[in-house]
Amino acid sequence: MFGAFRPSQPLLGGLLWKIPWRMSAPQKYRQRKRLQRIDRLVNCVDNALKKQGMTVAAIEEWKASMPTEAEMEPRDKYTIFARNERGYRKGGHKVPKWTRVSQRVNPPGF
Amino acid sequence: MSYFKITLIRSGIGMTKRQNGVLASLGLRKRMQTVYHRVSPDVAGKIMKVKELVAVSERERAESRAEIHKRRQPPCGFVVEA
Repeated sequence: MFGAFRPSQPLLGGLLWKIPWRMSAPQKYRQRKRLQRIDRLVNCVDNALKKQGMTVAAIEEWKASMPTEAEMEPRDKYTIFARNERGYRKGGHKVPKWTRVSQRVNPPGF
Repeated sequence: MSYFKITLIRSGIGMTKRQNGVLASLGLRKRMQTVYHRVSPDVAGKIMKVKELVAVSERERAESRAEIHKRRQPPCGFVVEA
């Protein structure tokens, strides 16, 4: 049997999670690259403003509150806080649009 | 006078209204489009709102739209090899 009606795990009625519970090594690699890219971008914008003797609150706040990629722990790079998960953590790749959002810090106490 | 060269490298589809509004105000409509803006705090704030979607570098001068278009054209014609 081929095509749309071939017997596959989801069709046979089994519970099959299509999104693995953790990221693969290449996913983690690309996640690090995205984090580094944003660090470079913030640095670039900050340096350009500094040359003109200006600052902007958004960048100052970011630098004060957000760790850079090198400062982050693996736990924070690849997983995020989740209220309803056992252990209060879930994979960062379960966040909607996770390759286009910044998620670096945990809520207080977690 | 220095400029921010801002290129949209990730699509704004499905992002918040606010982020898509910022992209529109920067003049970014589609992926790989490049715009130049003077270095100023308000542009920097806008960039920070959409930092996951754009690539930014600092340039001494701004290219015009025609220059960008010309730079992006593939070479035309053909070469006869000996």
